[in-house]
Amino acid sequence: MDPSSSSGSGSSGSIIDSLGVEIVGVMSPVSICMLVVVLLISTLSSPSPSTTATAPPITAATLVYLESPSDSASHKLLGALLNAAAFVALVALVTFLLVLLYYYRCTSFLRLYMRFSTFFVLSSMGGPLLLALLRRFALPLDAPSALFLLLNFSALGALSLFHPALPFLLRQSYMVALAAIVAAWFARLPEWTTWVLLLALAAYDLVAVLAPRGPLRILVELASSRDDDLPALVYEARPTVAPSASAPSPASIGSVELQPVDPPPRRSPTNPNPDDRAVVEMADLDEERSPLVSSGSSGGSAQNNERVVRIGEPSDRAVVEIANPDEEEARGRDACENPSSDHAVLEIGNVEGETSPLVSRTLVGRQENPPQRRRRRSSSSSSPSSPTQEVEMFETTRGIRLGLGDFVFYSVLVGRAAMYDLMTVYACYLAIISGLGCTLILLSVCRHALPALPISITLGVMFYFLTRLLMEPFVVGASTNLPL
Amino acid sequence: MTAAAGLGYALIALGPALALFVAAIARKPFLILTLLSSMLFWLVSLIILSGVWRGFLPVRSSSWWPYAILIITSVGFQEGIRLVFWKLYKKMEDMLDAFADRVSKPRLFLTDKMQIALAGGLGHGVAHAVFFCLSLLTPAFGPATFYVDRCSRVPFFLISAIISLGFVIIHTFSMVIAFNGYAEGKKNDQVFAPIVHIIAAIMTLVNLAPGGCVIGVPLLCFAAAVTLQYCWKMVWRRLTEQHNMQIPNS
Repeated sequence: MDPSSSSGSGSSGSIIDSLGVEIVGVMSPVSICMLVVVLLISTLSSPSPSTTATAPPITAATLVYLESPSDSASHKLLGALLNAAAFVALVALVTFLLVLLYYYRCTSFLRLYMRFSTFFVLSSMGGPLLLALLRRFALPLDAPSALFLLLNFSALGALSLFHPALPFLLRQSYMVALAAIVAAWFARLPEWTTWVLLLALAAYDLVAVLAPRGPLRILVELASSRDDDLPALVYEARPTVAPSASAPSPASIGSVELQPVDPPPRRSPTNPNPDDRAVVEMADLDEERSPLVSSGSSGGSAQNNERVVRIGEPSDRAVVEIANPDEEEARGRDACENPSSDHAVLEIGNVEGETSPLVSRTLVGRQENPPQRRRRRSSSSSSPSSPTQEVEMFETTRGIRLGLGDFVFYSVLVGRAAMYDLMTVYACYLAIISGLGCTLILLSVCRHALPALPISITLGVMFYFLTRLLMEPFVVGASTNLPL
Repeated sequence: MTAAAGLGYALIALGPALALFVAAIARKPFLILTLLSSMLFWLVSLIILSGVWRGFLPVRSSSWWPYAILIITSVGFQEGIRLVFWKLYKKMEDMLDAFADRVSKPRLFLTDKMQIALAGGLGHGVAHAVFFCLSLLTPAFGPATFYVDRCSRVPFFLISAIISLGFVIIHTFSMVIAFNGYAEGKKNDQVFAPIVHIIAAIMTLVNLAPGGCVIGVPLLCFAAAVTLQYCWKMVWRRLTEQHNMQIPNS
């Protein structure tokens, strides 16, 4: 059905053609990551109980209490709470360490550490997974070849993080692969510990991002005041502007420079936590476009204040962004971004379209700040509909960014649901996706950093238990009796 | 059942839905979001229903009337949810129109509205198929299959897949019919969706009788075909009306 032909108008299409493209651009990698984790878990955990399958890994999350099936419920609960408390304390410590390092401008150390940890996670955590897969499917691959492939895979992953020459899709895929590998490991934790840990991390995320002295908030404010990238692993929905020759640090431009916080003392020194937390950040931009969500929340207040979420660019690279021309708001927005600590940062950047890289390159010389500044106002020249916008502004060409920690913990939840039944998987998937959508909507309303974990995790846990306790007997009973 | 058979059953239940998704919905992110939110709605309604019915399950008697009550209450509740969905959709439509005016793009076309209704109905249908059919398929991979006494000629999973296919079609297109009926204020269209839903659900009770699935399942497919035909006629009528209205103007 071609809308334009049926209506007879000459317009290129209706508004629903490109509305919400960024939201879907964030939801698809989250869905893909969850799918990969569910597949990994369902193929690797069902076979005969080998020793490795039954013994949970000794990790930082099981420092205090190692669950065994024979304990009583209250004992398990207490042990799980202690585990979760220890883990959250460790994560907070590491986040503060990261903030400290960032404050003292050890940024090159942070960057190098991030690349190292990517390589290490991919090789040392991906390796056993590869081995388990090879064993499970009895694939004929000899050890030297497997080692060779694994090392190449990890090296490419570490390279793809920062090198601008590698295709962006590769980088996105590696982010998703990284999150999937870490989540597959986390999902092996004992059951009670996993659930309590997820809830504790959601609460910690909430506190660390919203509280005035929360580490993530401090980090975001620091990063925004220095107009620098957050030192964390973040998934970007769109490529950033290509670095220009005059850019101070080519490696830091166009990429979310990050580095994972030093992980807790596990077997593998890499910790997914640092990368993971995502903070929902809103950048303000001066746009006349009204956001999908702000019109709902504030009844079209987009006309009143300049802050609007821009959705549906003329080009197909539209970005949901909340724009605010005020510069001091930018810092608040930056505060929203929380890259390296456990909080998930959802950054909403402004992407103009295909013309923006050219424009921003020409504008790079004008500003002293690197062009990856997210909060800049969008340049008018990139959008054909507003040709007369400020020339002194440069646009950021970032898409929505979501910290890897969010990916990891969403996938852990779904992976744990997969260990019970697929019905819980579907229910938890829908819950998490709707929580993510709600967070995005809240972001457009609140305009400051928001943690992306709490709503989704809470909904996911709720739906898991509701489905398991309520829906399963209903549906299975109804359908096996063939009435439905 | 084997992996190949499992894939076959999954495609029987969800193949048309997948085709609809790829053809009509995948390119428009807004429709994907509509699909996801209607799936969530359906899931929430199912959770509420099962919460209410939890105390009475499992139904031990083999007579049909407890199932009938179960079905009638479930269908009634879900039709109520459809009304709520419609109200939300109206609000969303107003917001979208305001947004369109602000960015000086054309307002929602008729086909846009129908596509949104299609996405909503598809969400309901896919959620039904996923929860009632797919979630039973996936634990059952392995070398054997399962037959039910009352319908012993065909594997249980095949029956379940065909029933889910019927309901996918019914849910998808009755949403389009219902939204159109609410928009135009036509009573015929408005009551068509609940009526066909109830009839289809009651017809599945025929499956309870031994050997009943030989009659019940084709009847369900017939109901799905009737829904499809009604929707087709309605859409055709509306599109030609709109086209005729525009001819004097253009």
